[in-house]
Amino acid sequence: MAVATDYEHRRAPSIGAALDRHYGALVSTAAVFAFLVVWQLAAARGWVNARYTSSPSQVFAAALDIARHDDFLHHAWVSLSEFTLGFAAALGFGLPLGLALGTSRRLRLFIDPPMMALYTAPRLTLLPILIIWLGIGAASKVAVVFLGAVFPIIVNTMAGVREADPRLLQAARAFGAGRLDSMIKVLVPGALPAILLGVRLAIGRGVLSVVVGEMFVSEAGIGHQIMNYGEAMQVGHLMVYAFAISLFGYALTIAVRLLEDRIRSWRPQP
Amino acid sequence: MSQIEIADVAIEYRKPNSDETFAAIRGITLAIEKGSFVTVVGSSGCGKSTLLLAIAGLIPRSRGSIRIDGREVEGPGRDRAMVFQDASLLPWRSVHGNVRFGLELQRWRRDDIDERARRFTELVGLAKFSDYHPHQLSGGMRQRVNIARALAVDPDVLLMDEPFAALDAQTREVMGNELLRIWERDKKTALFVTHAIDEAIFLGDKVVVMAKDPGRIKTIVDIALPRPRTTAMLDSTAFTAYRHRLRDSIAADMQSLELVGGAA
Repeated sequence: MAVATDYEHRRAPSIGAALDRHYGALVSTAAVFAFLVVWQLAAARGWVNARYTSSPSQVFAAALDIARHDDFLHHAWVSLSEFTLGFAAALGFGLPLGLALGTSRRLRLFIDPPMMALYTAPRLTLLPILIIWLGIGAASKVAVVFLGAVFPIIVNTMAGVREADPRLLQAARAFGAGRLDSMIKVLVPGALPAILLGVRLAIGRGVLSVVVGEMFVSEAGIGHQIMNYGEAMQVGHLMVYAFAISLFGYALTIAVRLLEDRIRSWRPQP
Repeated sequence: MSQIEIADVAIEYRKPNSDETFAAIRGITLAIEKGSFVTVVGSSGCGKSTLLLAIAGLIPRSRGSIRIDGREVEGPGRDRAMVFQDASLLPWRSVHGNVRFGLELQRWRRDDIDERARRFTELVGLAKFSDYHPHQLSGGMRQRVNIARALAVDPDVLLMDEPFAALDAQTREVMGNELLRIWERDKKTALFVTHAIDEAIFLGDKVVVMAKDPGRIKTIVDIALPRPRTTAMLDSTAFTAYRHRLRDSIAADMQSLELVGGAA
């Protein structure tokens, strides 16, 4: 804790201060409740056609129905394993490549143009090709998650390494650091905030990829179920699955955020 | 034999987009005795930092030889440690972690690393701050960490590249005293680059004055002030005489340059 901010902790606790501290959370919660109430009212009063919009109570009923009759855990497991495999491959491939690209100008010149072309192209357009190559099973979804997640990881790792402070590298060299020492003790820790940012972006891309991949063609998974319920016009059921996948992506993102905050503790407080 | 023997060293860079070369330093010959404190002054651009980096083995020389205890310098080595300017501490490591840095890189034994990091943090007066990160420290404290990091690896030669340049005048004076207090303990050979004349006289047994275009040694002044040095000496007649002599020497260099600049 910085010496300069010590006085802030001496303020007497009060209800006003507690409200202050939780102001953001209170407003957010109130907003969610207000939305649910309006949604329920709109559907019940016939302001909107509940057949298309469903309603909070219908979604809740659909959730119970899915828990009882649908094999939710199986679908969740299929999506989770596709996501995890693709994401792990993206990390395993993207981190080393990003580090290499960040340190080697030659490699960067060589790989940068084709990589940037792939990075900017919408990778879901490759989905039909991946399905021709890999079939409609898990492999094509793993591949599409990999393609979605790997680029933010590579690009951010590379950027983080390239921004390394040359003075720190020189200090390391003066104490006898070799290339590997500099990598482990200076480049990677220095690039960690950028790497985590890349990972956080990659989670969003990966979740999107697995769902869209499953919606396109698949035998099971959350995206598969969303598509099925969509075709059957069962909006409530569809929303339960959509909500489940959002929650998953949100939870992972928050987890990485927390990690980022911890890593950043050495930075000057704003 | 002197501990550091520098003979006819030149460091040249190729000018961008041409075959011409530019000499950062040329014809540097200098001998430094074991256990002496040598300071190097000169206006910016005279190559004083370049010379120090060459001795550290961080930049290659184009000509000449640098020997330490008779061995030619080929790159960084355990016999030398460097104190850098302000921003060379790892911002994500605590004080303790930063003092460990050099020891880790030189593969000291795990127990020794911890013990020495603690001992040298204490030596520079930062025992209470060992868990703090650099951004939580004042400039003076950060440079104490920098000094502790260099001393912890037990070098024969301590190289210092304007370590107090970013500090205010008062802190600078305190740090100078502090550095001498630490140095007096085991009198490691020290080479200290600065652009502050008073600092150079106060710290040094010998002041090397450099001039530029090309970077070269202009004169070497022996400082006959007794040790331990005290702040009171700053106002002594002897100190004032050294100050005038060095200032004239450096000013002459600046003036001749301005004339050249005006003619061109």
